[in-house]
Amino acid sequence: MKVKIELFGAARDFNDQNLLELDLGQKTTIKDIRNKIIQYIDQKFNGNENYIKIINSSAFCSEKNNIVSDNYKITNNEKIGIIPPIGGG
Amino acid sequence: MLHTDIIDSKVKKLSLIDAEKFIASNDFGASLIFSGTVRNQNNNKSVLGITYDSHDALVIKSFEEIYSEAEEKLNIKNKSVFIEHAKGYLNLGEISIIIAVACKHRDEAYVLSRFIIEEIKKRSPIWKKEHYTNNQSDWLKGNPIIYEKN
Repeated sequence: MKVKIELFGAARDFNDQNLLELDLGQKTTIKDIRNKIIQYIDQKFNGNENYIKIINSSAFCSEKNNIVSDNYKITNNEKIGIIPPIGGG
Repeated sequence: MLHTDIIDSKVKKLSLIDAEKFIASNDFGASLIFSGTVRNQNNNKSVLGITYDSHDALVIKSFEEIYSEAEEKLNIKNKSVFIEHAKGYLNLGEISIIIAVACKHRDEAYVLSRFIIEEIKKRSPIWKKEHYTNNQSDWLKGNPIIYEKN
């Protein structure tokens, strides 16, 4: 199934369109998405360590605007937000 | 009473007057207006401006939760709170955040204002990209949001 990942903060540097479209199997979880984005960084940015650090320290947000755990199951065509470490004010 | 908003810097600027108007009431004897502005130095680098990014829906949700929690944790029931945060590019000296609070007494106002800004720093998905005089720019590191099971 296709999953759209909306990019925020430092993760916006992963792609010019501020969005990643991932092709994943059924019963996909946030953990699978995290691993898939790391694979994408490996291929596209030669395993850029800073980017991988960002992915590993990011939270993820469901389409219903809840921060969800690594076990959260994605529904088809759901848009997920990647939430890198924050610091407003 | 609560007012929250994310203000796109291309559309308008944050206004202290708007904040003052919103919290003005004869019910309250103490009011405080906190503003955060863009400063010219950070980590020994000369800063020209900051681009703010925001997950708008989650940020507004976090502001509402912080407001509700102030009642439970601080036991401040009667209050007026105005929270606005900027997004987009801001020059030096421009306002990035306004937290205006009005309460019955000064103790409550000081505690509430401090509580709100510290919680926003911990929980609201807002990011800063600093722009420096050497044409470089960097996203600031920030703190991870931890998933908490409800």
